[in-house]
Amino acid sequence: MTLGLVVLMWLLIPTAIKRFTRATFFELTAPLTIAASYARDLQEYWALRMHSNRELIEAGRDLARLNASYELAVQQNTTLQGEIGRLQELLALPSFTDFRYEHARVARRELSGWWQRLVIRKGKNFGIPVGAPVIFTGGVVGRVTEVHATTAVVELLSSPELRLVGVVEGDTRPISFQGGVNPTFGAPTAVVEFVPLDVIANRNVTKRLVTSGLGVFPAGLTLGVITKLELGADGLFQSGEVRLDERLSALTEVTVLVPLHHD
Amino acid sequence: MPAFDSSSDHSGSLLESHRGYDPRIVFFYFILAGMLLTLAIGLGYQQLSKVGEYDHAERQQNQRRVVVPGPRGNIYDRNNKLLVGNTHRFSVVLHLDELKGEIEKMRWQIRRNFVAASGKDDLPRTSQIEQISRVTLVQSYLDQLNAILHRHEQVDSRALRRHFERELLLPYTLLDGLDDNETARLLERLPVNSPLQVYAAPTRWYPYASAAAHTLGYVRPDAEVEAEGFPGADLTTFKMKGTTGRDGLEKWFDSHLQGVAGGRIFRVDPTGYKINPPLEQRAPKRGNPLVTSLDIDLQLIAEEGLGDQKGAAVAIDVATGEVLVLASKPDYDLNEFSPRATKAVVEKMNATGAWNNLAMNGFYPPGSTFKILTTIAGLRHGTIKTDEPLVNCTGYMKVGNRLYPCDVGNGRHGHVLLRDAISWSCDVYYYEAGLRMTPDVLAAEARRFRLDHRTGIELPNEQSRMIIPDPAWKKNERGTSWVPGDTANVSIGQGDVLLSPLQMACFVASVARNEVYTQPTLIHRPDAPRQQHESIGLTPEQRIAIIEGMEGTVTNPRGTARTINLPKLRIPGITIAGKTGTAQVPGRKNVAWFICFAPAENPEIAMAVAVEGDTAGEDYYGGTYAAPIANAVMAKYFEKKNNAAANLVTPAKSP
Repeated sequence: MTLGLVVLMWLLIPTAIKRFTRATFFELTAPLTIAASYARDLQEYWALRMHSNRELIEAGRDLARLNASYELAVQQNTTLQGEIGRLQELLALPSFTDFRYEHARVARRELSGWWQRLVIRKGKNFGIPVGAPVIFTGGVVGRVTEVHATTAVVELLSSPELRLVGVVEGDTRPISFQGGVNPTFGAPTAVVEFVPLDVIANRNVTKRLVTSGLGVFPAGLTLGVITKLELGADGLFQSGEVRLDERLSALTEVTVLVPLHHD
Repeated sequence: MPAFDSSSDHSGSLLESHRGYDPRIVFFYFILAGMLLTLAIGLGYQQLSKVGEYDHAERQQNQRRVVVPGPRGNIYDRNNKLLVGNTHRFSVVLHLDELKGEIEKMRWQIRRNFVAASGKDDLPRTSQIEQISRVTLVQSYLDQLNAILHRHEQVDSRALRRHFERELLLPYTLLDGLDDNETARLLERLPVNSPLQVYAAPTRWYPYASAAAHTLGYVRPDAEVEAEGFPGADLTTFKMKGTTGRDGLEKWFDSHLQGVAGGRIFRVDPTGYKINPPLEQRAPKRGNPLVTSLDIDLQLIAEEGLGDQKGAAVAIDVATGEVLVLASKPDYDLNEFSPRATKAVVEKMNATGAWNNLAMNGFYPPGSTFKILTTIAGLRHGTIKTDEPLVNCTGYMKVGNRLYPCDVGNGRHGHVLLRDAISWSCDVYYYEAGLRMTPDVLAAEARRFRLDHRTGIELPNEQSRMIIPDPAWKKNERGTSWVPGDTANVSIGQGDVLLSPLQMACFVASVARNEVYTQPTLIHRPDAPRQQHESIGLTPEQRIAIIEGMEGTVTNPRGTARTINLPKLRIPGITIAGKTGTAQVPGRKNVAWFICFAPAENPEIAMAVAVEGDTAGEDYYGGTYAAPIANAVMAKYFEKKNNAAANLVTPAKSP
């Protein structure tokens, strides 16, 4: 009886009030979410403190190597960017879409049959807009779908609610990419549609799928690996499955690409 | 004081006071049992008897069936070059069935606005408010697309009304023909669960654009398909439109090219969104391929030769009757018919007359090319002798009260023999031959070559406007008597004679094979046998005379097609046997003709070319305007043949 009354009242409440209530609830719980994530960070910190000196020395050595390789890559990037700028000027080409990079810690992961999303510890306070691409070292993470005062919700690549446009590496024809139905602890997968008939991929011969650059994402970022293709119902294209990076379900830090020019 | 009745004492224990045979309790037992029995029977009835009905209702409610037409089969030329294929066309569609609630809200909103603006008395009719709300809502969705693609599209309210009335279950196309960039932007920016969805529709693709347009034909997206044998016919079904061939080979071989429709049955959630994977699915199958007899390389050469002129060119494989070239100008870009020709395209085609396949349905007087038939008739009739001059050509001939000229300028041909009469195209020679053999003999010979019948080529709408005139025909059609001048005219392919380029190509192919009939076909069969029909009935000497006369048309210094014997045009090692014609159409533009076959000694390819002049009354010589086109096609034919022979690898002999 009581439950029925509550449901009836909820149905009768105007949509605007519902939205406001939801947003207020999210903002109310945001400090708790952030506090929990800080507590987790602290927990990880103390867990690391428990490692032996030998392990720390080895990790430091590995990190130094990694840093050296990254420094080299940064130098190469700087050189290439200079060359790109020179060619753009020479050929009077418009410049690429520019982004500002905003690194953010992951406050909460919601991975279930219903949701595939992250909550990050930055929001309007860092100028993050809805729709901004989110990436990590393995490629694309997803897109920002909600922005709050100090947090933002990122829809993961593995979510059926997220659709992007990709291309097979080395090709230019657009392919529709959409998150699949992923169970809570399963390996993340996605589906592709509009794959040209001449693209061949299977578990033995996989194809890397990268962003096309035609949408909001810059070109060339890894989306996943096509592992299966079959002829679509219309006979014009193939559709298939994509294996996503397993690190998606264990991310602790991501980078938000904040567009400098709004389209 | 009454005696104490222990049986009426109710003050004892409950057990003692409860009597099992109390009639009131028993009565309620029966009622309770009856109710339970009713429930049990009802439950049994609902669960057992009506299980099929509920199962059906459940399927109806949460399953949707989508039927997708199978792609049409490809069309190839004889060398397996793709002439017609399939490609995709991206569009954005709006699923109107998902807008019911929104339309309802919009209708109330619009009604309130009207009431606020002008009171209840001036309210539009309910149907008008319904239409306004539909257009407003659909425009709001279109505006979402406009914002993403920077466009300014407007909803076509008539088309929308029609769609609501007739095709509500099918998605409504808002934008069509999107390029890859636009498609990508929409895929990324439209919400996944939006009623707006990007859709890829199959469409015909013509890699050679306008080449062989009249022969290949086009399709129109106007047929609803049904997936035969696919379950779920009772479910709510969304059918994608298929296509039907409307002209050319696409129409003639429509059932052969049509694909087999496939489909999917999806479970949908309470809000109507599909849940993957589908419960049932059957992939559509592509239609059968069609390998035509056309040689696209030769076709392109012929069309290039015709250029902007109005005319046609036909080339036939002499042995099999396979049509290698069927070109007609003006033509049209077939890709402009995918998916549907615009009004501007149709108006342009109406203005230029590009609809008409002149190769098949362009009926012209054949002019002097008809002299080959007159020659055959004369030889068989005995009027013409190969070694006797028939007449002394003085440049003209008096027939009845009129002087009939010979097209030799101010000169004369003199005592001309058959070979030269053909090579020089002496009109006086043929006036005399025709008058001697009578019009009935001429007409009978033409009918023997079936020139009074349609060719029966595998194309729709072949007309039968050809005319082989004779006295009976003139009396019947014109109501006047035949005069000798009519015979003179017919003997040189003038007057009322009308034939199509395709007919003339079949005729010259028949002559090349020394037979009276060639059945043209547009289907290539690698193992097609040589056609065999009734022999023309000439002696070897007579046949040689005709062929040498036709060779002289090209090689003789006075030959009427000597232009193609110039060193830069001559095909090395190949002798062409041909006949020119310059048909004069009174008050209209003249027509340049050339019919031929080659090699003269062992014919492989036969051709007919007809080109309309661009100015009325202007001389338009076959040797100048038509012969070079045929020569170019033949040069390509023999070039390809020689290259193919050169590329053949001689197999190594066994030791």
